[in-house]
Amino acid sequence: MTPRLERRLDTDLRRTGVSRLLGAVTGLVVAALLLVLTGRNPVTVLTDSLDAVFGSKRGIEGVAVQSVPILMCALGVALSLRMKVWNIGSDGQFLAGAFMACGLGINVEAPGWLLLVMMAVGSIVGGALWIVVPAAGRAHWGVNEIITTLLLNFVAVQLVVWASLGFWRDRASQVTQSTRPVPVTLPRIPGFDSVSIGFFVPLLLAVVLWAVFRSTKVGYEIDTIGGNPRAAAFAGIDVPRRIIVVMLVSGAIAGLGGFLQLTGAPGAQALNGGGFSRSYGLSGFIVAALAGASFPGVIVAGLFISAMFYAGIALQTKGLSVYIIFGIYGLVLVGVAVGEVAARYRLVRVVAPDTSPSIEAVAP
Amino acid sequence: MFALIEHAFLSILASAIPASTVIVLCATGVLLNERVGVLNLGQEGLIGVGAVFAVISVQSWGVESSWLALLVGMCGAAVMGSLFAVGTVVVRANQVLLGLALALGGVGLANQLGTNRNGTPIPTTSLFTDIDPGGAFTSNDVLEALLAHDPITYLAYLVLPAVLWFVLFRTRHGMTVRAVGESPAAADAVGASVTGIRFAYTVLGSAISGAAGAYMVLTITPTWSPDIARGRGWVSLAVVIFAAWRPFRVVAGALLFGAMISFETTAKARSWDLPFMSAGDMGFLLSMLPYLVTLLVILVPAGAARLGRRSRATDAPAALALPYFREER
Repeated sequence: MTPRLERRLDTDLRRTGVSRLLGAVTGLVVAALLLVLTGRNPVTVLTDSLDAVFGSKRGIEGVAVQSVPILMCALGVALSLRMKVWNIGSDGQFLAGAFMACGLGINVEAPGWLLLVMMAVGSIVGGALWIVVPAAGRAHWGVNEIITTLLLNFVAVQLVVWASLGFWRDRASQVTQSTRPVPVTLPRIPGFDSVSIGFFVPLLLAVVLWAVFRSTKVGYEIDTIGGNPRAAAFAGIDVPRRIIVVMLVSGAIAGLGGFLQLTGAPGAQALNGGGFSRSYGLSGFIVAALAGASFPGVIVAGLFISAMFYAGIALQTKGLSVYIIFGIYGLVLVGVAVGEVAARYRLVRVVAPDTSPSIEAVAP
Repeated sequence: MFALIEHAFLSILASAIPASTVIVLCATGVLLNERVGVLNLGQEGLIGVGAVFAVISVQSWGVESSWLALLVGMCGAAVMGSLFAVGTVVVRANQVLLGLALALGGVGLANQLGTNRNGTPIPTTSLFTDIDPGGAFTSNDVLEALLAHDPITYLAYLVLPAVLWFVLFRTRHGMTVRAVGESPAAADAVGASVTGIRFAYTVLGSAISGAAGAYMVLTITPTWSPDIARGRGWVSLAVVIFAAWRPFRVVAGALLFGAMISFETTAKARSWDLPFMSAGDMGFLLSMLPYLVTLLVILVPAGAARLGRRSRATDAPAALALPYFREER
């Protein structure tokens, strides 16, 4: 009796989820092995990371602060993934949101709370505007959204650099290479030094999105398009319109993330060139890929990646290069992708001599 | 005044041609991948790995010939490409996820290997030099701008697309290759090895993308710098869409992007301004221009085709980014 792998014809969400997670863990283990190869002790790296995150109140607050932009970008990406649209440009939408919020914040005179509301609305508009061209291209002309959303990331970075070194530059000082700081900030959560109430926004949003997809017609239609756009069109769903709306909302969520970062994160109250986003869109994409577009999953995976991201920054002072984080992200993605495939196979025992062509073995 | 404009135009042309060579090479690599139905988003990583191995081979492994250094860079990228092909073609996992993993992993690996090499120049004896038979090209401004370029540029602009066009559209093998990208089930049914052809062309395409990176450090900027690709890989992916997956149109699309880049450099160097905009602001605006123009050139033809009768979406290989499972045929 020789065991062999057989492809399943059905998909099971739970099995896929577990398999994806196992894949990601495998990716992390491979990353740890690579650390051994480069002469580092992975146990030390792990304990140092855990210490950096959980060793002090500062660490936990740091993770919470990091998680806001990462979770907002991840929720935007996860939403578009529900209809199999790959929004790789959430970094650009995040920056566009921050750009609009900053522009309003430093140029408009208004009472504090009104200004905050205006900035929030502005960031939502900014994020949505930044994806409107890719959305129209995808919905009406069939242009692949991966490339178009990504190209706009480069434009957004240049726009923010221009703003901080050019038209909105703080001219009071000769050395600063940033805009003036915005005059208003979100209140801190009582009992915390650095976490603003913005921390709750992605959590609430995840619940809202979860509820929309669980029990509304719109959510069901979006999932139908994700499953089979042709069938959805035959069922009378206006597919191009839904694609545009979902992509705009996806961009708007990332844009609102830019507002939350600008008004919530300590020391981020001005645009300072390309450094305003520390590749949050990228981390957000990894989170959404890990979670497989499940919104509660995004929160769990997002907090995990935020902790890793924070530990990575903390460990940079101990000589761990920032490029290693990129490498680890890459390995996690490989693990997720392979895990997804593995979930569609099962081991079967073949009794009779097998004369059929063999199937390439796939193991997680 | 006219002479001034002519001079500026020639200098833009002269620098646009080699600047575009990087894009031509990388986009040709993308084309080879996509023609067999494999979407390889890892171009940034492949350029980085190609560049860093070319640098290492010259600086540490005693390679003196620029051709050999190019080959080493291509081999480095081919190794990364074959890992990607194992995942996408053999295991048949999601190509978008693995492509992004290759982009991240490749850039991370290249930057890691390149640490401590920032700014260390490659000796000029190991660089590609411009072709100039008996000083004939450099004697004339126009000829110099058009023809005085290195051999890789000639290969990338003329030889590579010609060979590719001939193989893809004029040979039986080329028809099989295109069939694998359009309808792997049909190709499989007539006895072609879908896995084998996809694997081979993914690795070959990756090696050519790696050549783009190696070319960068062996000519234009003869030194390693972190994140060396700076978006050129993503632009190459866009150029292939613009080119509707045809070899010679890739050259045209790449040249357009290269012209934008050298226009930007020239305008910044000469502090060009507009009545309503200072030279400084122009500089910032021009930095966005290459990406905006790239976006436009892939959207406008698609939109125009939509207004006409033909759907642009049919230009893409029909099985692009779709893994092939014989069981589900």
